[in-house]
Amino acid sequence: MAVTFVTVAIILSVVFTVLMVDARDRVRASEVEQLSVAEKVFTTLEARRQQEQLAAIATVAENPTLKAALDTYFTERDFTGLPAEQEQSLRDTVTVEAEKLATLTGADVLAILDSSGRIFVSAGPLRDRWPAGEHIAIPATSTTFQDIAVLPHGAFRISGSVLGLLDRDIGALVVGTSLDANYARELSNLASADIVITVNGRVAASTAPGEVAADLVNTGTDAADTAALNGEEYAIRTLIRSGRARIYTLASIDAAARTATRDALTALATVAFGAFVLAALGSLWLAQTLTDPIDRLSGEIAMMTAARDLRRPLQPTGTSRELDSLAEAFNELVQGLTAAEADTRAAYLGAIRALAATLDARDPYTAGHSERVSALSVLIGRQMGLDAAELDVLRLGALLHDIGKIGLSDAILRKPGPLTAEEYDQLKRHPGQGARILRQVPFLAPHIPIVELHHERPDGRGYPFGLHADEIPIAARIVHVADAFDAITSARAYRPARGTTEAIAELRRCSGTEFDPASVEALEVVLPLSTTTPEPALQELLGRQLV
Amino acid sequence: MQQVRLNNFARPLMLVLGALLAVPGVYLLAQQPPAVVRGRVEIGIPINARRPTSAYPTRSVPAPKLAPESERRHVVVYLRDARPQTVMPMRVAIHQLNESFTPRVVAVTVGSEVEFPNDDPIYHNVFSLSRAKNFNLGRYPKGDSRRVRFDRPGVVKVFCEIHSHMSATVMVFDHPWFAVPDEDGRFELPAVPAGDRQVTAWHERLGDTTVRLRVESGRPASADFVLPVPEK
Repeated sequence: MAVTFVTVAIILSVVFTVLMVDARDRVRASEVEQLSVAEKVFTTLEARRQQEQLAAIATVAENPTLKAALDTYFTERDFTGLPAEQEQSLRDTVTVEAEKLATLTGADVLAILDSSGRIFVSAGPLRDRWPAGEHIAIPATSTTFQDIAVLPHGAFRISGSVLGLLDRDIGALVVGTSLDANYARELSNLASADIVITVNGRVAASTAPGEVAADLVNTGTDAADTAALNGEEYAIRTLIRSGRARIYTLASIDAAARTATRDALTALATVAFGAFVLAALGSLWLAQTLTDPIDRLSGEIAMMTAARDLRRPLQPTGTSRELDSLAEAFNELVQGLTAAEADTRAAYLGAIRALAATLDARDPYTAGHSERVSALSVLIGRQMGLDAAELDVLRLGALLHDIGKIGLSDAILRKPGPLTAEEYDQLKRHPGQGARILRQVPFLAPHIPIVELHHERPDGRGYPFGLHADEIPIAARIVHVADAFDAITSARAYRPARGTTEAIAELRRCSGTEFDPASVEALEVVLPLSTTTPEPALQELLGRQLV
Repeated sequence: MQQVRLNNFARPLMLVLGALLAVPGVYLLAQQPPAVVRGRVEIGIPINARRPTSAYPTRSVPAPKLAPESERRHVVVYLRDARPQTVMPMRVAIHQLNESFTPRVVAVTVGSEVEFPNDDPIYHNVFSLSRAKNFNLGRYPKGDSRRVRFDRPGVVKVFCEIHSHMSATVMVFDHPWFAVPDEDGRFELPAVPAGDRQVTAWHERLGDTTVRLRVESGRPASADFVLPVPEK
């Protein structure tokens, strides 16, 4: 699960890093575009606003009283001169009209110029900054005009209209807006951007930070759309370029992009978080349905292989059909292997049993001896509480116990009378001989002690090693008793077969010295069973033997 | 807007024939018989008239013609510093037609009455703020007319209270030595007393242009003007 999740997490992290970098670039580009569009819109709106203002000014300039007073003033002054009283009267008339128009237009200052462009009368809150006699240069191109006028008392944005009669122009009406902080603020509110006003290359008013405005002046970026000011990138647009005055709008791209980028990154982070959660859940699901069952199966297989215990089949996982079919295939394979191994084992056993039978067959008196000893040994062993595995070892060991006699000559083996000392010595070698044969076959190793030690005696007078009671393996002790019982109850060339009672008596007599007492006692218990109800394994062995 | 300014170089061009013909030893006496002063007024620079600067679209009245009938008709030639005389009143009319005063410049004697008939299909309101005659005739419709009597000499600027671009000038003289040139610019000041005289040509845009001349008994004197009237 952890591995799956880490993989998915790494992939997601890479993807989101790429997305974030990409998003940052896109946001920035879109912000530049947006600012540029906003500034264009503002420039257009501002141009229209100015046009409307001009139209309004042209309208208010059509003031008959104002024009009449102004024209009368100059015509009479030039013709006959003006008496003070008449001069004042006409000037007052013009002033009253000018004040009315100033109130109407809401201008900072409104002036009536004479035909030479000098201020005749000024009105409005800032009238003191436009004293009479001051010259204001106005363009001669059309009846209405807009410009920036730099006067001794400050710079003004001016809009005006010529005061015309049918025969001639008699002056002009000019409305001025002071290019001060108030105006910059007003424009800034309209533009939703910073405004910087420069006059003669110096900042006259600004809503931008001082360093930025100073940088703008120093850079002198009239044409550029963007410029780096005070370490930040700005979108700049020149709103008005007139003589020595400039009005710029500027907006920080970085500041705008910061907000938008933060929003975009927040959205991305949310998505990323969701993706990680999904990845975790997905990993969990994968783990439950695939990884964990695979781990469990491979663990089981490893244990089975290590223990060479292939009998128990793998359990289906129940979570993945593919895994289940794999497990099934494995089980079939194991079954095949087990069957093959069993066949091999059976083949070995058959060969060995045939060998034992051949051995028994050499002497008519001992025919079937090995099979009977084996069957009886198993009965005794079971009675003594040996487990199934021990019984298996016992069964085969008993079957092979006399295999070493294969090297004995018929003369010794079938001698009707008692053996000479030398012959007896040869006979005593058969347990060692049998062990040597069995050592050739690895899977018969467990049976070697039975074959090698089935003539040892508790009193230490047995052969070939003369071991004492506890030194002799229990299986060997059992086979010793069963072997002796079968020998007593079988006929020999030199004597007839004796009864079981006699045999038991004989065994009991020698119990503790020649025979293991526990085994003898067990034999006594199981003997009735061996005759009445033959041991199934014995029958099976016999049956196989016949085949 | 052009600055109204007198071209100084124009002055030497003024033909002052009388001065050239001056004969030393001729006395300037009041009882000496007068002489006629004739002359021509030339406009030195062509004049381009312009449409009225009205913010409103023109109503049913057609726009005034761009070409003036004659700029020379906007000139008044008069004898400067003439002694007041008893003069005969005149009857003159200034029509209000096509949102303009026609004629635009008139010269009358003291005591004259000027008729202001409204020939436009719209109201007009003739008024003046001038010292020589301050009046306001109020609104009146087409076909109506008002009359104003001018009792003081001087220049009277006349306007329309409704149409701010309309203007006219009435020059009121307390002597008979004044004239408005004809279409060709010719004028005649009859019976000017002999002596050193100044003749002034007044134009509504240019103001006064004065020449000096000597008027000799019984001999017609000449006073020609080339007025450097600026374009409007």
